[in-house]
Amino acid sequence: MKKLTLALSTLVLAGCVAIAKVDSGDRTVGDRLAVNIEGAWNHLQAPNLGPAQTWTREGLTVDQLLLYSGIKDGELVHASGNIAKQKDFVFRAGMMPDEIVAMFEGMLTRDGSSFKLTKLEPSLFGGLKGFRFDYALTRKVDNVVLSGMGWGTVSKGELFAIVYMAPRLVFFSRHAAQVEKIALSAKVKE
Amino acid sequence: MPARFARPEADTDEGGLWAMMDRQETRLQRSPFAIRDAELRDYVQGIACRLGGAHCPDIRVHLVRTPFFNASMAPNGMMQVWTGLMLRMDNEAQLAAVLGHEIGHYLERHGVDRLRDVKSRSAFAQFVGAFGLVGAIGQIAALAGAFGYSRDQERDADRIGVVLMREAGYDPAQASKVWANLLAEVESRPEAERAANFPLFATHPGVKERAETLAKLAAEAPGGVTGSEAWQKKIGPYRRGWLAQEIKRGRHEESITLFTRLITDWPAQADYLAARGEVYRLRARDNDLDAAIADYKAAVALGGETPEAHRGLAFIFRQRKQVAEARTSFQHYIETAPEAPDIAMIKSYLEDLEK
Repeated sequence: MKKLTLALSTLVLAGCVAIAKVDSGDRTVGDRLAVNIEGAWNHLQAPNLGPAQTWTREGLTVDQLLLYSGIKDGELVHASGNIAKQKDFVFRAGMMPDEIVAMFEGMLTRDGSSFKLTKLEPSLFGGLKGFRFDYALTRKVDNVVLSGMGWGTVSKGELFAIVYMAPRLVFFSRHAAQVEKIALSAKVKE
Repeated sequence: MPARFARPEADTDEGGLWAMMDRQETRLQRSPFAIRDAELRDYVQGIACRLGGAHCPDIRVHLVRTPFFNASMAPNGMMQVWTGLMLRMDNEAQLAAVLGHEIGHYLERHGVDRLRDVKSRSAFAQFVGAFGLVGAIGQIAALAGAFGYSRDQERDADRIGVVLMREAGYDPAQASKVWANLLAEVESRPEAERAANFPLFATHPGVKERAETLAKLAAEAPGGVTGSEAWQKKIGPYRRGWLAQEIKRGRHEESITLFTRLITDWPAQADYLAARGEVYRLRARDNDLDAAIADYKAAVALGGETPEAHRGLAFIFRQRKQVAEARTSFQHYIETAPEAPDIAMIKSYLEDLEK
């Protein structure tokens, strides 16, 4: 955790990270995804984040909410070029839910972290047929065990998804209900 | 072989290095990546003890669940062996070759030499100024680890490793095979990526030369056991987990090279066939899906295949609109893996096929 905190603090101090408050209410993410949120979130913007919007309640070293809107066929699901040695993970329009979850798993374990899928089931997302998944992630950098959940759907060949993770103890349960509400509120414009 | 090492005084540079490694070892013991299976750990510890002889009480083996080829031994006796390395070993003698090499570094105190080498550089003063002695030792040790051992130190460790293997009764010819096998994997990946994710490669230059040198050393006094059957039996309960981790690395070319070798060595082992089929399916290039079907079916024909072999077949059949075959394979997966985390999703695919 210290290493992660140090790295992020360095980015903030260097002026590389912009943090914007996201207030309660209806919010749009990209061109086609809309969500309703209760309570404020922090939206982080930095060169090594994206293409998802990265939101956090407690700080990036604690919890992360990734919001993907309109990821196109062939597009990476993580920022490119930050760690050249690591494998890249690309969205393909024909992917099935298992493959999309495997793609997120690959993305979340690029640094050697360990991912365990605990549930994958059909679910509506954004008003469309989609899927929901739950997982546990053991972070390599500090051995912290996180719980996570995600929702996704593919519309017109583009990926829309929400992925949340927070330390299993205390933080996940503190915010899980709010995140579920955000996922349930999601609307994908057809 | 030198006598057992006494613990250095705490106020020396070596004492500081040991203290830092002790802390790392404590963290490692608590880590969720540590494998706490006593039987497997004791087995690997036993191999290390056969090699280390009188130093056995000072060697503490820790198995780490990480799908990369790596092992290391710290000056305080902490030895780490990663699961990616164990998956790649054909037999006990090959594991002994790697452990013997690491014990060679330990016996020659190369870690301490590296520490002092880095210390002698002008940057040392900055470290002391910024962190104090203990902090500085930590920084330097990290640097020493990052820089790795010198080529001469690697040669020394190789030579000692072969001697230790021979004394322990292992076939020293297996040492060169470890490197030849790994070289084949690395050469299968795009050139720009060859050093990535093989930490030993970053610090072990001249792999081809080393394989040749090790083969020559082994030829001077051939003989000894390989322990192939014992090794395969011992890793049996862990094989599927390690294969799954390897597949998840997403390094398809390396995994295909590795699994092809394992299939050649152990043609009756369905797990290796199913694993290669899964990699072909995930890569999905040119004729990969046909190759995947062939491997999955070969695994099924052998029997004892993983449920995932049927799921993989179902995904390909579904994609190819071979509805009846897809349905049969999904049903087989559901029957053989009723508790799988994705079972609800698979049932929904099956329902879609039946519409």
